[in-house]
Amino acid sequence: MSEERMSLGKVMKNGIITENPTFRLVLGTCPTLAVTTSAINGLGMGAAATFVLICSNFVISLLRNFIPDKVRIPAFIVVICTFVTMVQLLMQAFIPSLYDALGIFIPLIVVNCIILARAEAFASKNTPVASAADGLGMGLGFTIALVILGSIRELIGNGSIFGANILGASYEPMLLIVLAAGGFLSYGLMLGLFNLITKKLENKKSRKEAEEA
Amino acid sequence: MIKKTFKRGVHPHIPGGGKKATRDLPIEDYVSDSVVIHMAMNIGAPATPCVKKGDPVKIGQVIGTPNGFMSVPVHASVSGEVTAVEDIPYLGTGNVKAVFIKNDFLNTWEDHRPLGDVEQVDPSLIIPAIRDAGITGMGGASFPTHVKLTFPEGSSCDTILVNGAECETHLTADHRLMIEESRRIVNGLRAVMRAVNVPKAIIGIEDNKPEAISAMQEAVSDREGISVQPLKTKYPQGGEKQLIQALTGRQVPAGKLPIDCHVVVLNVGTCAAIADAVTEGKPLVSRLTTVTGCVNTPKNLRVPIGTRVEDMIGACDGFSEEPGKIFFGGAMTGIAIPNISTPTAKSTNGIVALNEKDARSLDETACIRCGRCVAACPIGLNPYKIKVAADASDFETAEKLHVMDCMLCGSCAYVCPARRWLTPSFRFAKDKITAERKAKAAKAAAEKGGANQ
Amino acid sequence: MNLRISTAPHIHHPVTTQRLMLYVIMALLPTTAVGIYAFGLPAAILLAISCATAVLCEFVWQKIAKQPVRVNDLSALVTGLIVGLNLPANAPWWIALIGSAFAVLIVKQLFGGLGDNFLNPAMAARAVLLASWPVHMTSYVVPTFFDAGVDAVTAATPLATAAQNAPAQLMDLFMGNIPGCIGEVSKLAILLGLVILLVTRTVTWHIPFTMVASVFVFSWVMGADPVYAILSGGVLFGAVFMATDYVTSPMTPVGQMIYAAGIGLIIVLIRNFGAYPEGVTYGILLMNIATPLIDRFLPRKLYGYQKEAKQA
Repeated sequence: MSEERMSLGKVMKNGIITENPTFRLVLGTCPTLAVTTSAINGLGMGAAATFVLICSNFVISLLRNFIPDKVRIPAFIVVICTFVTMVQLLMQAFIPSLYDALGIFIPLIVVNCIILARAEAFASKNTPVASAADGLGMGLGFTIALVILGSIRELIGNGSIFGANILGASYEPMLLIVLAAGGFLSYGLMLGLFNLITKKLENKKSRKEAEEA
Repeated sequence: MIKKTFKRGVHPHIPGGGKKATRDLPIEDYVSDSVVIHMAMNIGAPATPCVKKGDPVKIGQVIGTPNGFMSVPVHASVSGEVTAVEDIPYLGTGNVKAVFIKNDFLNTWEDHRPLGDVEQVDPSLIIPAIRDAGITGMGGASFPTHVKLTFPEGSSCDTILVNGAECETHLTADHRLMIEESRRIVNGLRAVMRAVNVPKAIIGIEDNKPEAISAMQEAVSDREGISVQPLKTKYPQGGEKQLIQALTGRQVPAGKLPIDCHVVVLNVGTCAAIADAVTEGKPLVSRLTTVTGCVNTPKNLRVPIGTRVEDMIGACDGFSEEPGKIFFGGAMTGIAIPNISTPTAKSTNGIVALNEKDARSLDETACIRCGRCVAACPIGLNPYKIKVAADASDFETAEKLHVMDCMLCGSCAYVCPARRWLTPSFRFAKDKITAERKAKAAKAAAEKGGANQ
Repeated sequence: MNLRISTAPHIHHPVTTQRLMLYVIMALLPTTAVGIYAFGLPAAILLAISCATAVLCEFVWQKIAKQPVRVNDLSALVTGLIVGLNLPANAPWWIALIGSAFAVLIVKQLFGGLGDNFLNPAMAARAVLLASWPVHMTSYVVPTFFDAGVDAVTAATPLATAAQNAPAQLMDLFMGNIPGCIGEVSKLAILLGLVILLVTRTVTWHIPFTMVASVFVFSWVMGADPVYAILSGGVLFGAVFMATDYVTSPMTPVGQMIYAAGIGLIIVLIRNFGAYPEGVTYGILLMNIATPLIDRFLPRKLYGYQKEAKQA
């Protein structure tokens, strides 16, 4: 199976850039908009989702030949639920402050589109190792996107990144950006920027190919 | 008297509608030493030339024979000798055959036989006489008049409307005709009323021509069934559909002809030509044309059909400034001509020369959605939306937005502060859609033919 | 002789986009002048910053995006001026800068530039500023009218104090002797602007009159003082200069009246039931969003489609 030979680097690139779940596929926007009010929240959410993604992808891939097609979605959800509950309990036990900040969005990882989409689109058709790698790539892509958005919003809306004050005491934060409207606004602008960059890269690539040919 | 009008429309901004220079000038005759008469004088099939180089011709002699029902004969407009029969490029319609005649200034007429007084003549002879006289709509569209007066089966006409609105800018030919030759107009109108057996006629005239209104009122006072109705001065009051709406309150159903709302519209110039055809038996060989703009002496000229623009400019003592653009007709719908050797046709009601400054074409800028085009469109379309669709070559959407109901009056493009080329885009879209429809119909016909075999 | 060939029409109405924007600026001058007279130098500085920023942002964006530079259509200047007039006179300078930049770059240019923005840029900028720095945006100074001896005093707007049963005098409201944004103090100056807009045919009466009438009627229905309702806050300024923005208002007169009536209703609802003392900004923004729907779904009577032709 040639896909099994898919290199780790390629999977990573796929998750982080070409199929970035947040900026390219626009999946999981609900937690994206809700928790990116600060960089640390974004990181926590990203890490939790990554853990669930890797584990659920791996397990679903193992079980892919045993799950009847008709009931596959409930079966996937059961698997995902298991890991989400684990994450929730672990967070509550070891990092209660983050657990409080993320609140309802931790249990809501169950219905996060990215996780179900990867289970359906990738894990149910590929080997466990490849699926786990895909989960890692996607999870990292999600995490990076959330950290970027969270940092920007925290910087503008609070003058700090990861809690460290950067813009100084005289900075008057722009409250809007940490409100819901600001979430949409900054997410939209980031989407536009990401599209612009990928388009530029593609243009460059196609020009290079044209020159070579 | 109440002044009637239609909905929306615009008021072209040039002082006096550009008519001041010529509105009080009497008609002058002018004959040049040669004419070029092309064969595509009417909408429909062009005529076929029936003379050759070296032939002597007389005024009124048939030099082009009609091809089918939607076609009229073409007559020599001066006497003299045919110097050439050649293809000439003509105003975007491609090449057309044209007859070049050198004038011998002897003014010899071909034999013609008057039918008699319009009130006495046998009505059944009138429409054939109109056709043989080569009469087409003189307001600009060149629709063969005999076709207009031959009603399709099942339709009826209760009123004849006469268009004396002359809402276009610069033009005063109809205005002068109404003042100086109102009798001719009324005679022609009576002939038509008798030919199609319609007892009622209304002559609509814009209220910026009070002299024409009173002249026409006097001319119709002793005739049966004709009334004169003043109209508000507004563009496009003289558009066929708007005139019908203003005078009768009816609307021509979309995609149909005036006869479908039981009226026929004739231009005053057409009526005058019909009068000549009936009372004198003379074909249409000359017409009134307003020559104005940047010429030294603007004039209302009566010229033989086929007179070149340069000769007429010469008759007006040449250009006063270097012209930047010259067009046939008024500024709102006129057709720009490529050079001054272009000959006039039966439909040329005016020649306007603009100086370089006025002729400058304007850069299109972004639509600011001000809604002026919507407020101007006499049909009630949304020009800005159609423009977006047409520019994207999305003709299907343009069609849904009723671009086919657009009559290209130019009102929207005139008022647009962003100078968007609305009318040109619509013209393009309409041409595309018409071509597509034709292709589809041809294909359907071919398939049907195949199935029958 | 070189003759141009072009399709009809061969003449154009002399009014261009630039001329229309110039008319708007002319109409804004009276209220700008009164604002500067009432609040002194700080107001003038704020206005200068907001105008300069707007024009500069438009210029730089068009350069970067390799678009034809059309700063001379004056639309950016209008936006900048309106953003400035919507600020309290003692707002810090960077508020004007951020407001104008946001209006031009994000609301206008990112959506395609002039004609393609779906929100009124100045209005959206005001909403962003209001949500981001509520303290700066709502601490108004009492007009000093260059009375040198008086220090600037901050005060709540009459709308905010109305709740405490101390309504400002109607005459003061009308003439501008009240705390408020730079541009909204003198209703007389705003009405003068309206006259200029109407005389130059820049706008029709439909939007401003319907909007004010709507606020009047709905306030009356809600049991508030209708005259006070239309003279206080930004109702008049909004009705004359912001709701009438071409790009974000409907095109047909009927559509415009629906739009303006909707704004009036939202203003009254927010004032009487909402958490904010003023609702003009949100009323206009919400109806801006409804504009494409109004334009799309409002039936139009086309020539040639009447049900049955009359026959005489």
